[in-house]
Amino acid sequence: MADPLTLAAIAAPRRPLPWLALASAALLALVLGWGLAPWLFTATDPLRGVPLQALQPPSAAHWFGTDHLGRDILARTIHGSATSLQATGLAVLVALLGGAPIGLLAGFFGGRLDAVLMRAVDVLMAIPSLLLSMAIVTVLGFGTVEIAVAVGLSAVAAFARLARGEALRWRHAVFVEAGLAAGVGIPATILRHVLPHAAGPVLALAALEFGSAVLAVSSLSFLGFGAPPPQPEWGLLIAEGRNYLAVAWWYTTLPGLVVLLVVLAANQLARHAQDRGQDRGGPR
Amino acid sequence: MPLRPFRLAPAALAVLALATLPAGAQPAPQPGGVLRIAIDTDPQCLDPQQAGNNNSLNVGRQITDSLTDQRPDTGALVPWLAASWSVSADNLEFTFQLRDDASFSDGTPVDAAAVKANLEGIVKLGARASLGAGYLAGLREVRIPDSRTVTVAFAAPNIQFLQATSTMSLGLLAPATLARSAEERCQGQLVGSGPFTVARFVHNQQVRLNRRDDYAWPSALARHQGRAHLEGIEYRVIPESGVRTGSLVSRQIDVNASVPPQDERLLLAQQLPVLARANPGLVYSFFPNEADPLLRDPLLRQAIVKAVNRAELQSIISRFQAPASAVLAKTTPLYSDLSALLAHDPDGSRQLLEEAGWRPGQGGIRERDGQRLVIRLSYWQSTPFLELVQQQLRAVGIDLQLNRTTISQVTALRDSGSYQLQFFNLTRADPDILRAVFGSSGRNVNNRAAAPVDALLQASSAELDPTRRRDLVAQAERALIEAGHVIPLVELSTVIATGKNVHGLDYEASSRLQLYDTWLGR
Repeated sequence: MADPLTLAAIAAPRRPLPWLALASAALLALVLGWGLAPWLFTATDPLRGVPLQALQPPSAAHWFGTDHLGRDILARTIHGSATSLQATGLAVLVALLGGAPIGLLAGFFGGRLDAVLMRAVDVLMAIPSLLLSMAIVTVLGFGTVEIAVAVGLSAVAAFARLARGEALRWRHAVFVEAGLAAGVGIPATILRHVLPHAAGPVLALAALEFGSAVLAVSSLSFLGFGAPPPQPEWGLLIAEGRNYLAVAWWYTTLPGLVVLLVVLAANQLARHAQDRGQDRGGPR
Repeated sequence: MPLRPFRLAPAALAVLALATLPAGAQPAPQPGGVLRIAIDTDPQCLDPQQAGNNNSLNVGRQITDSLTDQRPDTGALVPWLAASWSVSADNLEFTFQLRDDASFSDGTPVDAAAVKANLEGIVKLGARASLGAGYLAGLREVRIPDSRTVTVAFAAPNIQFLQATSTMSLGLLAPATLARSAEERCQGQLVGSGPFTVARFVHNQQVRLNRRDDYAWPSALARHQGRAHLEGIEYRVIPESGVRTGSLVSRQIDVNASVPPQDERLLLAQQLPVLARANPGLVYSFFPNEADPLLRDPLLRQAIVKAVNRAELQSIISRFQAPASAVLAKTTPLYSDLSALLAHDPDGSRQLLEEAGWRPGQGGIRERDGQRLVIRLSYWQSTPFLELVQQQLRAVGIDLQLNRTTISQVTALRDSGSYQLQFFNLTRADPDILRAVFGSSGRNVNNRAAAPVDALLQASSAELDPTRRRDLVAQAERALIEAGHVIPLVELSTVIATGKNVHGLDYEASSRLQLYDTWLGR
């Protein structure tokens, strides 16, 4: 490998402050924990309203305050993260599984197949993704799963383009050409030699996409396409709080802050992963 | 007919007093200016003869006049387009003498032929005239002996008709408008005889009305003569209550026509005038569709009546609002308190559900033969108390699923018949609303077959003696609640807030706004 001095000189200025990445990872882990085992983080029932305690400001008993029916907003945020994160995860998965194969095939085979697939992807990219997902969810019907699929489908294009670029790059690497010449089958070449190398940036995009999917899923549930009441969901919590902005700042603000932090943390981690990927390098 | 004077909560009276006090020694009204009113939903259809929701009826009130007007304090009827009227001894025939100076804004006169065409037109609209057609049920004929005299004859005694003539649902439109299609009229192709005319209607954005300069026939309740003070009225559709409140405080609008409970304190603290009035008529209720396989069962319906804790709802509704104490709101003439029938009885409710075969199942929701006790409700109103009702029903094992959507979707569902519950209130300053809504020959909101309660409903609307009628109305309400044909929840109060520069803004008898006397101070 390279001279350790040079490596240090290159890596030092580029490496982001590690505590930022660590804090992001910790925050995401916490929120994932909320989603997987909400009962560990709050003992309060997110659905039970106590009307006499409606619209209480944040206090020791209710860290995030209470909503218009006297429900604990922290409990609703914690329980809401399950629905919101599942939807986000599903959306990213749909985008990844839908987009990556298209891109790999287009990039590997090139020619007419590439032209056809990429023109279709261009058309998809021309439509604003939130608009596209709203159109899809209108067709699919309302609900959390429907939202997830819609957001996922609208992000397919981004994954397809990136995967194509990576496939194109590795398709002409010497070892791939050599493998093909030596008689390795096309499926095996794609799966064993192109895919593993292309996976890094695509997974980094997935991490980045996680952040924007949280936003997109929340936006759609904010607009009322998501879970019906009384189920908590991040976007829905923010939407419900809108009507109480003047009298209960905490109602929209605190769940909103959680969404903001999760999106920032996901982006930060994605940046970190990308930087590390670049450090490792590849044929350029 | 002795009518109950409407009552306001003491707090509301104090506020009303505050609203008028700064005016001091009655300043002279100033002409001009455009009144900007924020409303919470799209009015959908501007034609007052077809409209059902309060926002469109509020617009309709400004562009049409009625034969009579009703005093909001006593319920007494006073002349408007009809200078006088008489009722035959058998209560079958009503004869109106029209004033002779009124005209529609296209120049045609408001004469007997126009009144006849309007009444017959409303009957022809049928279900589209959701309110008006009910008021005219049993109309036999309209005779016009001369151009100023109209005689309306009914097949059966119809004592609510006179009050109905004061509503905008029977407001008069020009014959040219009646010739148009119902859809065109909804979109604002309307010519009335009111003090304002429709200038523009953009769905989900605004309705703009302009003053009519040659207007000279206000109701006997008006406080001035001649044209309206305001040059125009602009209704703006602002769905977010926080934005409505903020716009009012920052003077970007003059009237917030829909103040949610949570903003009342804030507006009062800003010393902005807040006006409240309980709407007479049917309270906010669930109306079960008895053609539905689940809700056909009276035990289930009664269980829902008992499962609702109405007292608990008070803490999240407006301070100007009260939980239901009968099928009719307190401000309705001939109201009787039936709160004993509406007591919270969760144990009684559970027992009824057990009797009906619903056993506790997974997640606390009852089941019968593997079927979960799920009831779906689609609604469009901003009524957060429904989520509390949902929680109360869940406590006895009923899963009420709420789907908040748009008016048009709710209407489409209702028309298709594929729904389990309807949720609405209906404003009407006469107990006849019971017969109109529940009668199996009327709107038949329950989709049920004819039953003994129909005879009671009919009797309550035909009885002339007020004391006996009050009794019959109470009996009918009792029968409706006991059979679970209605699940009353909360009375509607219209709460509006205005800027300090708005004067002369009042509720009419049905708690809608009459803006003829309204003016803007500088």
